[in-house]
Order: sequence, then structure tokens, then C-alpha cells
Amino acid sequence: MGGKVTCTLGEVKNRADFIVYWGGNPAECHPRHFTKYTLMQKSRWLPRGRKDRTMVLVDIRETKSAKAADIFLQVRPGCDFELLSILRAMVRDEPVDPDAVAETGIAYDVLEDLVRRMKSCRFGCMFFGMGLSMTRGKHMNSAALLTLAAELNAFTKFVAMPMRGHGNVTGADVIMRWQTGYPFGITFNRGYPRYNPGEFSTVDVLVRGDCDAAFIIGADPGATMPQPAIDHLARIPTIVLDPHVTHTSRLARVHITTAPAGIAAPGTAYRMDEIPLPLKPALKSPYPTDEEIVRRIREAVATRPFWMPEDSPQMTTEQL
Amino acid sequence: MTLQTIDNATCTFCGCVCDDIQLHHDQMRIHKAKSACVLGTAWFLNHTAERHYPDALIDGREATVDEAVEMAAALLHEADMPLVYGMSNTTCEAQKECVALADQLGGLLDSHTSL
Repeated sequence: MGGKVTCTLGEVKNRADFIVYWGGNPAECHPRHFTKYTLMQKSRWLPRGRKDRTMVLVDIRETKSAKAADIFLQVRPGCDFELLSILRAMVRDEPVDPDAVAETGIAYDVLEDLVRRMKSCRFGCMFFGMGLSMTRGKHMNSAALLTLAAELNAFTKFVAMPMRGHGNVTGADVIMRWQTGYPFGITFNRGYPRYNPGEFSTVDVLVRGDCDAAFIIGADPGATMPQPAIDHLARIPTIVLDPHVTHTSRLARVHITTAPAGIAAPGTAYRMDEIPLPLKPALKSPYPTDEEIVRRIREAVATRPFWMPEDSPQMTTEQL
Repeated sequence: MTLQTIDNATCTFCGCVCDDIQLHHDQMRIHKAKSACVLGTAWFLNHTAERHYPDALIDGREATVDEAVEMAAALLHEADMPLVYGMSNTTCEAQKECVALADQLGGLLDSHTSL
């Protein structure tokens, strides 16, 4: 996420007078986002709350979130990258091809109005969801949106933030960045971390059949991944840690039931704006925590011979 | 029946991680999640402290946690290219242990983000 221009949700709540949601449906997926942060809150700089804010929704279909929007732009599926590139050109007053604009499904004068609003707001924020980052173009779409946000800072204050899904997926990014220097798609097979999404990212690894064992925690790829990836998980020894017996547990060699985080297990979780928050579990689980089980497995692995020969020239860290 | 309350509890269902939820519970289940949205309420009310599942399963048969931990360590140690994946619905403390495990194994490490 190097180069991301962003802020906390507290700043959005107090200052953002122009909000864009791109490829997300907060009304149904993040139901309190509008009321707590982006639309309804009043502040010193936005004393009239909703009336002081403008909200734009960009999506391929009219979701429930469109009802809350002032402007809804229905982009043709798969044209997000093109639309973002056109907006980047228009922000700089560069000419754009009318055919390319027509291809996105949105009229030129609508885009002209959007660009004028973007440049003239006091504090703009673009939130982007999986409708942008997981469709044609994938991470290049996210990069285009983050670049647009960065470039708008030549005119006004503008930031961007991903709308993260499942609970602590932000925490996973943060912890991996802290421990390895990279956010995901990492290998330690040379004894030090290397990063290459596409080569080391899970779907690709599983579909190609690269890995020969899998340890799955806090996820259910057996329910969400493409079938060839699931087939490979069933072929290799898979170990699952989860509060429930999941689809993945059913095709795994080993399943261990653990306490659900935040309900019966204590710890820390990151909000989507990378603010760490302590968990306050209400219940006492009969099962151990994820933390305890992963530590015990790591300790059990550590009693066995280390995988890399001791005289290997690649050995870079002192091993216990 | 009097319920115990927890103020400013944190909901980890979605990325908003709302930390202003008031939970009313009787130690076995949560009966009310005040301020939570429809998704958060379902999240809190559907988890209980009951023993719904076996402690562990090895090849579909019930096993103890000790056996399952040993088996997991043996399988991961045997592998040439083990993968550590997921880490969404868990704590940062567990995520840090996962990074250490992948490092110890010389394996792959990845999260939901890259899907």
C-alpha cells in the first residue's frame, strides 16, 4: 500500500464534505458506515451534517446504497480502470476520446460535473470496495483510484480508503507489513521474506498445485475459492483452525475448534482505517484461542530438525 | 434472570470494527447487542459458549487437541512448500504467531486480501 493517501475515519467524520463510494455497497455490507462516519454526523466543519456533504456512488448496478447517494453513476462492468483513467485526464484538463467515454456508460457532462465537484470540495474521500479491486483489472484498478486521489491533492485535500470486509483482514495486512515488510503474497522459501502476488498468492498457488500442505486459519476457502483451488486443498494435507466445522474442515486432514475472536477470545483487531482496537470478549469458550494453538503448533515444529541445512549459504537468520 | 452487561464491546464482523456495542449476556450466550447493526447482531447472537463441535478432528474422527497439534506439526514439517493462509477472523496476536509459523516452516504466507 506504499503511496496510499489516506486518513482515519475520524477525519472523514469531521471534515469530509465530498464522499465517493466506488464498487461497494455500504448500506448492506457496512451498515453503520453512513451514520457513524460519512454522511449523518455533524461536526464543527460540517455543522449541518448530511446537508453539508455530497455523496457519489459508482457501481455497476443500483444497489440499496444508491438511495443514500446524491449522484449515482452506473459504470459498465469491467470499465472501472478506463473510467478512472478518463477522470485522471479530465482532472488535468487533458483531452479525452469521446468514444472511450461512451464505452464507460457514463455521459461526458456527468463526468465534467463530477470532476468540478471533486476539485472544488474542501475534503474529499473515496472509499473503494471489492467491486473495484476484485473485478477486471484487480489491483491495477485500486492503483488507478489511489493515483487519482493523490493527483487531486494538487487542487484540494483528497484521500482514499479501501472498504475492508471480514473483521480483522486489515490487521492481517498490518501485522504482515510489520513482521515481513510486505502485506500479503509472501514466501519464506529462501529463509527471508519475498513478495510477489500472482506467484505467491493463494488462489494462484492452489490452482497451479504448487503447495503440498495448507494451514488455514480464520477463513473458509472451501466455500469461497474457485473449484480447482478447492480440489487441490482436498488433495494435500490441510489443517483448519475455526470456531465452526467449515466446508474447508470437511476436506481437511486436521480440524481444531477454537474460540471465536471478540466473542470468546481476547486480543486486538484493526479497523479499516488501520486503527487498532482492543476486543472485549463476553463469553468464556470451552475451546482454546487461535493464538494458543498456532503457538503450540509452531513450538512442535521447532522441536523437529530445521528445514534448511545448517551450512547453507542462504541461511540469513540465526535459528534456534 | 439478570444479565451481565459489557459496555463498549468491539464487533469484528465487518471492517468497521464498531467499538460502541453494549452486550447483555448470561455467560452462555449473548442475548442483546445494543447499537449493533443487523449484521453485528447476528454475529454476536449466533455464537455461544456451548460445546457444539468436537475439540478436534483428524481424518474426520474426533481427537484431542494435543493429538491434533502434533499431527498438524508433523504434516506441516513434512511438506516442502507449506502454505499459511487466511487470518481474517482472528486476532492480531494470532496473526503474529502465523507469521512466525510460516517463517519457521520456510513456507508461503498469505491473507484474504490477495484473493
